[in-house]
Amino acid sequence: MTGAGRIARVLLHSYFFLLVLFLYLPLVVLVIFAFNNSAVPTLPLSGFTTHWFHQAFSNTDLTGSARRSIELAILDGLLATALGVLAAAGLAARRLFLRGVITTILLLPLVVPYIVLAVGLVILLHQLNITTSLTAVLAGHIVISLPYSVLVILPRLQTLDASINEAARDLGASEIWAFVLVTLPLLAPALVSSFLIAFTISFDEFAIASFLAPGGSPTFPVFVYTGARTPLLQPEVIAVGSIVVIASLVLVIGAELVRRWWERRIEGRKGDTAPAFAVGA
Amino acid sequence: MTHPARRRRRRVRLPRGLLTLPPTFYVVALLLGPIVLIALYSFNLRSQYPGMPTAFSTSNWHDFLRGANNPFRDRFIYSMKVTLLVSVGTVLAAYPLAYYLAFVARKRRYTFLLLVLAPFFTSYLLRIIAWRIILGNNGVVSWVLVHLHIVQQGHTPSWLIYSTFSVALVLFYTWVPFVALPIFVVLENMDRRVLEAAQDLGANGFTAFWRVTFPLSVPGVMAGFVFVLIPTTGEFIAPLLVGGPNNYMFGNAIQSLFASTADWNYGSVLALWLVAVVVVLMIVFGRYLSADLQERDAT
Repeated sequence: MTGAGRIARVLLHSYFFLLVLFLYLPLVVLVIFAFNNSAVPTLPLSGFTTHWFHQAFSNTDLTGSARRSIELAILDGLLATALGVLAAAGLAARRLFLRGVITTILLLPLVVPYIVLAVGLVILLHQLNITTSLTAVLAGHIVISLPYSVLVILPRLQTLDASINEAARDLGASEIWAFVLVTLPLLAPALVSSFLIAFTISFDEFAIASFLAPGGSPTFPVFVYTGARTPLLQPEVIAVGSIVVIASLVLVIGAELVRRWWERRIEGRKGDTAPAFAVGA
Repeated sequence: MTHPARRRRRRVRLPRGLLTLPPTFYVVALLLGPIVLIALYSFNLRSQYPGMPTAFSTSNWHDFLRGANNPFRDRFIYSMKVTLLVSVGTVLAAYPLAYYLAFVARKRRYTFLLLVLAPFFTSYLLRIIAWRIILGNNGVVSWVLVHLHIVQQGHTPSWLIYSTFSVALVLFYTWVPFVALPIFVVLENMDRRVLEAAQDLGANGFTAFWRVTFPLSVPGVMAGFVFVLIPTTGEFIAPLLVGGPNNYMFGNAIQSLFASTADWNYGSVLALWLVAVVVVLMIVFGRYLSADLQERDAT
């Protein structure tokens, strides 16, 4: 290797290292200040405390909003994945009328700004004379999660060996049973990825929830937003926020490691695989 | 094909493509339908107040597009400047990252990719709140600046928070790892023999990169650029938390017209304008995205 090549390599290594520091800096800061014994998040630190965690967990507004968001996220994960399976199964058909139009419609929520979807749903509910509710928030979350489900499930469905399905059919299974008993279990890793992605989207979504969640029952992001701008609530928000951030890091990395192991077991494939969320990789 | 049981089943079989109907209708009803309603509101054909007279009118559109010093149009122009700045900056920072992952990290590349992408999947709102702590008055950065004697106590620079800088920094931070992804995919799938050929023909490392690798990676760069451009065009959360009223973006204008000010007709003009901008961006740049999904019919 040439000297210039070696210098470039060292520079790239350092660049990567600094970038990782930059990406994790806010997460580290959040965790540090969660244990800081001060009502305002400023340096220098004023001592260690777990007080904010106790206070946060006894704040029923906060815990209530977290529970609400977890329930919403689970429902969104299940329903978006179910619709995603339907869409992917249809799109995987060899012949499909208006394929381009259907694909465009299903992927459209990826590019329409959430603020537009949010105000659109406000108008729609107003037009239908329906009051805003958590159900409306869920309906909106399914719209924005669906394309991700399709993008995770469809490629997996397309790489499944069609002959396995054919074999099941030759052995007497109907098309539906062949799908349920043979295809779905093979799809399981993709279904879990889809569920987790939809869960994450819903749990973190602010724009739609801020418009459609009723005042008395905010979702977690709506509560966090208010809390961050209320000095009295800010330390609690930081404390719970640090738990949420650590939990999602563990979940994302854990899920990815499990998925790699799982897909390797199903396919007997060796070597590293691209992350599930690296759609198109 | 001659199996009798199979032929019987085939006769009652519905086309599998029908399975796409429920999800497609769902998106039509909850996304396209509301956009049509937004269009009706923008032309004054509907009103949020029952009993208000409605009639086709382009006055709000005229005001937004042609009115002198229209504040919403100014907001849009400011917003697009920030968006372009962030998109270009993000792509510039993401390219070396993608290059590192594809060509230097070798066997650990997917592990490193996961490491870089993981923060992207933690709460966006919470990461912005962390940036408020970092950039805030008496926050982490200002403390460091004071202790390095770069600024005096109580004289922290005003551009640090509630500024265009803080909004752009947070958006840049958010998108860097995600933009690296399409660039990484292109570099990863590049035919290495082409690069070897360039070097065999006498090109040095930099020439090989600039004349061969980079041109071949342009589709990934464009995809990454659009990955930031489109969501940032409608951004409104970062300006609310780390920006001041002067740094509110176009999304904030829409939000306020539907929330506090409550002029849905004018708000609909802005919302539909945003949709139109995104559609134009998709027409211009869309071919760099998800091309593989559209081409499946050919197989």
